[in-house]
Amino acid sequence: MDRIECQWCKAQNSPERTSCSTCGAPLDKKNLVSDSGWTEAPRLRDMTEFRFSNSTCQIEGEIVPVAELALAQGDSVFFEHHVMLWKEPGVPLSAMNTGGGARRMFGGMPHILSIAHGPGRIALSKDATGEVVVLPIHPSHEIDVREHAFLAGTHSLNYSFVRIKGLANVLHGGSGMYMDRFVTGGEQGLLLLHGYGNVFQKTLQQGEKILVEPGGFLYKDSSVQMNTVPQKFKTGMLGSHTMYLAEMTGPGRVGVQSMYVHHGSE
Amino acid sequence: MSMPTYTCPYCRIASDGSGTTCPHCGAATDIRARVTKSGWAEQPPIRDMARIRFNRSTCQISGKYVPVAEMKLDPQDTVYFSHHVLLHAEPSVQLNMMRMAGGWNRMLAGMPLRMMTASGPGHLAISADHPGETLAVPLPANHAIDVVEHRFLVATSNVGYRWENSGIWFATQNGDDQEYHYPLGPTMDLFSAQGGPGLLLLHGPGNTFIRDLRQGERILVQPGGLIWKDRSVRMHLHFEYPRGKYWFSSARWQAKSVWLVLQGPGRVAIQSVFEPPETAGSITNSSGATTQYW
Repeated sequence: MDRIECQWCKAQNSPERTSCSTCGAPLDKKNLVSDSGWTEAPRLRDMTEFRFSNSTCQIEGEIVPVAELALAQGDSVFFEHHVMLWKEPGVPLSAMNTGGGARRMFGGMPHILSIAHGPGRIALSKDATGEVVVLPIHPSHEIDVREHAFLAGTHSLNYSFVRIKGLANVLHGGSGMYMDRFVTGGEQGLLLLHGYGNVFQKTLQQGEKILVEPGGFLYKDSSVQMNTVPQKFKTGMLGSHTMYLAEMTGPGRVGVQSMYVHHGSE
Repeated sequence: MSMPTYTCPYCRIASDGSGTTCPHCGAATDIRARVTKSGWAEQPPIRDMARIRFNRSTCQISGKYVPVAEMKLDPQDTVYFSHHVLLHAEPSVQLNMMRMAGGWNRMLAGMPLRMMTASGPGHLAISADHPGETLAVPLPANHAIDVVEHRFLVATSNVGYRWENSGIWFATQNGDDQEYHYPLGPTMDLFSAQGGPGLLLLHGPGNTFIRDLRQGERILVQPGGLIWKDRSVRMHLHFEYPRGKYWFSSARWQAKSVWLVLQGPGRVAIQSVFEPPETAGSITNSSGATTQYW
């Protein structure tokens, strides 16, 4: 029997489906790829539903989208507590201590993440315009996400964070002091991110480089090296101006968002 | 070589009409023009991944909500833009600074002090960082338009840029406080194609509507709604007092509307997102204006 491969997450789907059962991407639309190889993250149709483990996730709304999760017994998701929009009263909540409390607090990051356990329903919203990016994470895969961009992760993901090294990266990188790192164990995990504006992804070849406005960086495979590089410009006989860009070096995927906050890039 | 058979109703430049979008401004060619009964034509949003040609390079618009303009620059082509709109660039793209004259005045007006130039070969991407539409305005040789400040995204190097005072202002008195207001901003950008056709990309928050004003025809618009106009279109302020004028209360203190009068001939473009001007207090002074008491 023929199967349809999702162009976004590569999952196999039965032919009657119009959206991917793993990531919700429309299957009846071609991937939109720019001339230089940036793929537009699939715009999920309103009310699109997809599965993870024994649970489902439905994306509602197109301007400030909501992810509504129907959690099965034994399944759970974790998230920053302020993204909770509503939940059924019977859904238990617990807390995940992320470690590095004082340092994370100093970096403006929550040191406790909330965990919602099935059975029951819970809805999450980032409370900002943009789009939900669904990233199924295959076993033993690692992905780094700019701080505050993650909406929810499923129980099979291990959460940690990496401190961005180098003074220039911290002061001028524009991605904050930490990046969230998500790693899967034996079971595939699902990561929901919120991208401001539109989101684009490019797969860099080994050694391939791209310069990205630091505020536009959204996620990358952990195999992609990120360094902040100064761009010096002469502005006259004596004057000069320095601008900082994030240099991404492959191999791996890089995701950017088209609406961003400028930190130290000016 | 194919002969031009299609003239885009939006940018008015002829092409062979073989594609589904105009190669000069990206407007869809396979849709019927949407024109209101009063004469405003809705500028169709540029389709996702539509390509626009300029000089030896191309520009591809991607994304619908906060669109990105991705340029594939030929080695002989250069574009300039404000540095904060740069989203990503290939390392092969040469980035440089273009210093602007009138630094102090620009700083006071909240305008960028420097522009950045990018020369090919390579790709670079620009994003206005705000929801809305990217507007492609191809400029025929020696044609110039006035653009409201902060709407400019990127232009080809043969498009000349300078800025001048908008000449649209009013002052209000509220108690002892006097405040000056610039509904279009203190300055306006002037872009002119020099020596050949050029391309100008603007950002329009909300939806964009364009209209041709006949010689002497006038229209009142919200000052914050203007995006660009032909240089031939003249403008001035117009104050309306809906409750008329009473002997016991100066009409200056009453509810009022502040309009921008646009007078043809020429083309104007407005956006559906705008910030109404501040009208608290009495208007004590203004640039050339008309007044209506109802």
